[in-house]
Amino acid sequence: MRLVPRLLVQSFSILAISAVLALGVNAVRPDGPAPVLAAQSAVQLGKSGGEIGVKDAALLFITGRAVFLDARSQYEFQQGHVQGAISLPPREFASQYQDIKPLLAGKEAVIAYCDGDRCPLSHALAKHLRDAGMKNVYVMVNGWTLWQAEKLPIAKGAAPLPKAAQGGICRDCENK
Amino acid sequence: MQRLREQVGLAALVPWDAVEWTLRLALAGIFLYACADKILHPQDFASIVKSYHVLPDPLVYLTALWLPWLELVLGVCLFTGFMRDGALTLATGLLAAFWITLVVDYFRGINVACGCFSSSPEESAPMIWYMGRDALLLALALFTVEARRRAGEAA
Repeated sequence: MRLVPRLLVQSFSILAISAVLALGVNAVRPDGPAPVLAAQSAVQLGKSGGEIGVKDAALLFITGRAVFLDARSQYEFQQGHVQGAISLPPREFASQYQDIKPLLAGKEAVIAYCDGDRCPLSHALAKHLRDAGMKNVYVMVNGWTLWQAEKLPIAKGAAPLPKAAQGGICRDCENK
Repeated sequence: MQRLREQVGLAALVPWDAVEWTLRLALAGIFLYACADKILHPQDFASIVKSYHVLPDPLVYLTALWLPWLELVLGVCLFTGFMRDGALTLATGLLAAFWITLVVDYFRGINVACGCFSSSPEESAPMIWYMGRDALLLALALFTVEARRRAGEAA
């Protein structure tokens, strides 16, 4: 083969082999794949879920990258909840999950919360979600109290429309 | 004229095959050594790639993931001689591109941790040192290409 075509074929082969190796090994890294196409973020989320602080949750809320699941009772939800949150008490998980599942797709984080430092509901809900195969599930411990204390956006009333759960800040979504 | 003849005769005596082999192995060793830490710590290397301010954010991670593996494949190809012409060309191009990036960043007033042989941002040195070292590596690669050409002519 002549020099230039040979150089081109070999160079492209090396580039292709290295790209396949890089992406292939990254996909099976024991510590989970590093992002391939992503901007750096101030929010550093654990790859296999865990707890999330209110500051990080608020940042994800503002930018519409998270969906919030309220693990408390329907009554408490109607008294007030994180704006755009979806009511999903753990004991109703089996009957409601399939309806809610499409709303959780494509989000960076699914954040479960309830009220109080020792409230077990958000942890129970997170466990249900992980058992259902979701990985990006986070618990905002004492979420409702801290969310209110920081005067972050809240809403009252019945469960919002699905549309409200998909955006970022939705100032009057309860009225639409 | 006599002197020119002597020089030509001297050049013919140089075992270019052996020179090319030695230089190529040295270059292979450098690439293989350079890739190891970066393959193990892609996130740290991504921070260094980002600090060069030459790539848009979405491409930073892709580059940080791909570049160390490219170095590994180049190292293996240079070591074994498999696809050696392509590997030599790419290695030279990579070193040249990196040197140009360092010079551009130097004149933009950006000091970076090189990320050449380590993914730790703490191992930083003056930009002049990085530019000088990469210029030497680029010279090594260019000399290897020349040795390869002469070895081909002699064959």
